[in-house]
Amino acid sequence: MKELSVDVAVIGGGPAGLAAAIEAKDQGADHVIILERDVELGGILQQCIHDGFGLHRFGKRLSGCGYAHHFIESVAEKAIDVKLKTIVLEITDQKIIYAMNEVDGMMKITCGAMILAMGCRERTRSQVFIWGTRPSGVLTAGTVQRYINMEGYLPGQKAVILGSGDIGLIMARRMTLEGIEVEGVYEVMESPGGLTRNISQCLKDFQIPMHLATTVVRIHGNKKLEGVTVAQVDENRQPIQGTQRFIPCDLLVLAVGLIPENELSRQLEVEMDSRTKGPIVDEHFMTSIPGVFAAGNVVTVFDLVDYVSLTGEIAGRGAAKFIQGKLNLQMPAKDVLPGDSVNFVVPQRIRTVNAEDSIPIYFRVKKEMRKVEVTATVDGQVCMRKKHAIALPPEMMVETIQLEKIHEDARELRVSVKVG
Amino acid sequence: MKNKIMKVIQENKSLSGYKIGVSVSSEQIVTLTGQVDEWQQVVDCGHLVARVKGVRNIVNDMTAKGIVIPKRDRSKEIQRAIENGKETTCDIVVIGAGVIGCAIARELAKYQVSTIVVEKNSDVAEEATKANNGNIHPGVLAKPGTLKAKLNLKGNQMYTQLSKDLNFELQRPGSLNVIYKKSEWRKMKALEVMKKTGLGHLVPQMRQVMKVPGLKWLTSQEVKQMEPHLKGNPIGGFWMTTMGLVEPYEVCIALAENAVENGTEFRLNTEVLDVLVENGRTVGVVTNQGVIRSEIVINAAGVYTDTIAEMAGDRFFTIHPRRGAIAIIDKSRKGFLKTPAGIRGGKEAKKNNTKGGGASVTPEGNLLWGPTAVEIPWKEDKSVEASDLDYITKLGMSVTNEVKRSEIITFFAGIRAADYMEDFIIERSRKVGGLIHVAGIQSPGLASAPAIAEMVAGLVNQERGGLMDNPNFNPIRKAKPQFRHLSHQEQDQLIQKNAKYGNIICRCELITEGEILDAIHSTIPATTVDAVKRRTRSGMGRCQGGFCGPRVLEILARELEKEPTEITLKGNESYILKADSRQPIVVEGGSHERIEC
Repeated sequence: MKELSVDVAVIGGGPAGLAAAIEAKDQGADHVIILERDVELGGILQQCIHDGFGLHRFGKRLSGCGYAHHFIESVAEKAIDVKLKTIVLEITDQKIIYAMNEVDGMMKITCGAMILAMGCRERTRSQVFIWGTRPSGVLTAGTVQRYINMEGYLPGQKAVILGSGDIGLIMARRMTLEGIEVEGVYEVMESPGGLTRNISQCLKDFQIPMHLATTVVRIHGNKKLEGVTVAQVDENRQPIQGTQRFIPCDLLVLAVGLIPENELSRQLEVEMDSRTKGPIVDEHFMTSIPGVFAAGNVVTVFDLVDYVSLTGEIAGRGAAKFIQGKLNLQMPAKDVLPGDSVNFVVPQRIRTVNAEDSIPIYFRVKKEMRKVEVTATVDGQVCMRKKHAIALPPEMMVETIQLEKIHEDARELRVSVKVG
Repeated sequence: MKNKIMKVIQENKSLSGYKIGVSVSSEQIVTLTGQVDEWQQVVDCGHLVARVKGVRNIVNDMTAKGIVIPKRDRSKEIQRAIENGKETTCDIVVIGAGVIGCAIARELAKYQVSTIVVEKNSDVAEEATKANNGNIHPGVLAKPGTLKAKLNLKGNQMYTQLSKDLNFELQRPGSLNVIYKKSEWRKMKALEVMKKTGLGHLVPQMRQVMKVPGLKWLTSQEVKQMEPHLKGNPIGGFWMTTMGLVEPYEVCIALAENAVENGTEFRLNTEVLDVLVENGRTVGVVTNQGVIRSEIVINAAGVYTDTIAEMAGDRFFTIHPRRGAIAIIDKSRKGFLKTPAGIRGGKEAKKNNTKGGGASVTPEGNLLWGPTAVEIPWKEDKSVEASDLDYITKLGMSVTNEVKRSEIITFFAGIRAADYMEDFIIERSRKVGGLIHVAGIQSPGLASAPAIAEMVAGLVNQERGGLMDNPNFNPIRKAKPQFRHLSHQEQDQLIQKNAKYGNIICRCELITEGEILDAIHSTIPATTVDAVKRRTRSGMGRCQGGFCGPRVLEILARELEKEPTEITLKGNESYILKADSRQPIVVEGGSHERIEC
């Protein structure tokens, strides 16, 4: 078995992993390695040929591939080690990684710090409980995207989309452009799950109807999908009698949400947050296990890739500091807590002693609200206020807290959002 | 007898108002006709009549309001098949490549006969077998004196050797009946006394239990120790230590592969359209792929055994399809339960003619909840309903309330092939020479499969006389490597030998390209995405093929030298891709031309 020793090992070569590796290298980690299971770097960005990526970071509307390209080039320039088609089978709290590929076989990689950047995966039909049979023609939006954008195949000719998250919306447009008839987008909730701009650019511009508070209740067809039954739902998301409608179609596209992919993290038994479905992290995105960092959608599902890259950079910086012994882990951490109307916050704890001048706090609100004020309090004392016209659950919010506002013996920082 | 049956029906509250026709043949076969309101009444009526003494079996032609089961007219297809002139001759045709058909085929391979197995699906194990929970029952619960009772006991014991020979995984964690009620515990203690003293032999209902080895009675403490995650405070438990666990499709594939290695021919995508009978003897079958002439026809067609019997002019039983839905829990709960466990004394189970269900475990470590038992009119309806999952959840939760519904990664249903006597029908046809029925095989069919196969070989011997041993029979089937079960050292060595084992295709279950290639190029080649899944587990994990689906499809297309658009999920028309987006596609009412740029 091959044995390797590196300073920082990054698991996953998507936007989070790429940014983390580059930053770790820039901050002085000598030997950085990226372990990527796919045949190329970039992660899911490679199948995102639509534009709108990088508005925050580059001030440009890039395609997913274009956005990834910036980072991939940088990785090459900085001579960061990349192992493709390489899968990590096991990680230990001794920071040992067992990874394998066709060329090297099994590798035992010992590292100074480890960054978990495995991204997320899609929820499947069973997780949203759609009744009926199990024919072909029921695919997740990401799989459909891969078939159409990367492989050049059309998985159907008449589609129904379940879920109004961004991937669902973007696939509605993409399929229409490819000549697949999109009958409609169905959303079980009373408000759409995707970004406002995507609803406008992907549905309205193409006259694709969206049906809110309506869901797919049944799949028909034994071998090949023959159609679906949709129904309106009541406030408890139960189908309303008499509203059932059969739609003949040969493709059901499921865009029913993403789940952070934390199988490896769980192996390590890092502390997890039941709301984010990812590890609890600190101001450097370090998990509960010293030297093990997490970044991007593995921590929680972000809606913008810019945030994913940013968290990658924070983790990369943390990893470099960790191997240089610059992180003070003795000092107890302060809790960062979700306050009123806030669903979760990331990071969930901070050690001010290690923090830089300011700390970005990512959070999502529980419900749609207009004319809101975001407040951050330190032990009940307001330390930040900011007004926003609107706050929507699908859109991740971020506020930066100045370090000087958090006094040393404070116990907790709380982020709340109130109307008015 | 007819009057007695009429009386029984009329005295039944839910059936008394209907006009139900009853006729009884000289062989004590009862035929029922008429229309009722609900399908369940059709089934109830059949079961009611089955309990009348002397009834051999029931042909139930009753219908329920609004339910029309169309009869397929096969005459044109038969005509075409005969006219195309393709004809083969062999000694024995086995209809159906489920675990029963495959077990029979492998058993017959021990003798000097030529066998062809025909299967309408694109793979073996495609119907009831793949949707089975994999329990090799100990045989406690079968009714004494039935074929089920006899063959279950024997089959269970045969599995040990079979798993060694065929290299499939068999675990024997036993099965646990958890007892919470004092009255149940008293009954169980009485059972213990009967078993220990041998007194049970005097009680007809107990005779089966007397024959089952390895029964243990556990105290509350012992139960807790064995299964710490069980809910509440059980008074005790009844541990049937011989219960085994297998992956049912793995057993079926192993049997089929070994049969092929010993000279049996399998014809997939081959549907029987007619059974040929001349001068009171079967002389073969007509299939959609031509005629196969044979001296003996074995009817192991699962839910369609009654259809096949009818084709041969020997209609004496009716299969009433009974759906069983199962839910599979994420592997993160591996080791949570060690043995399949159920609560003793469930009322629902009795009503539904099942052994009960509960929480089971697969050899791979997934928890499994279910199955349900719902009578349905349609033999092909494998849909899962909300009510199924409610029931499944109740079963699972009755055993442990720590596992949540959200941990379910998938659910599916299979159809049990039950007849109204609720016993196996394994016999030579009394009307048609050379025809052997292996019908009504529902649970414990999987556990009984090897014993059923032996019994069928015996019937073949009676039919033909003088079955000669096959001196070249090799009972051993070598299993392919399973990467995930190896140590890192062994994995490394495997990759050094063949780099394809170093390429993970299915991330959730850690399945390598090497294993997928093995499946595609195996003795019974996997030609669909689901067939690859059954042989390797790719796509069985928590992402349910989201990541690996496109890759498996690509490998299948490459290896089978087909277009990706020709690859199916599960045979027939179950295509995954509609068109190559670089080709013009034809849409109803016009076409979209594409120009390459």
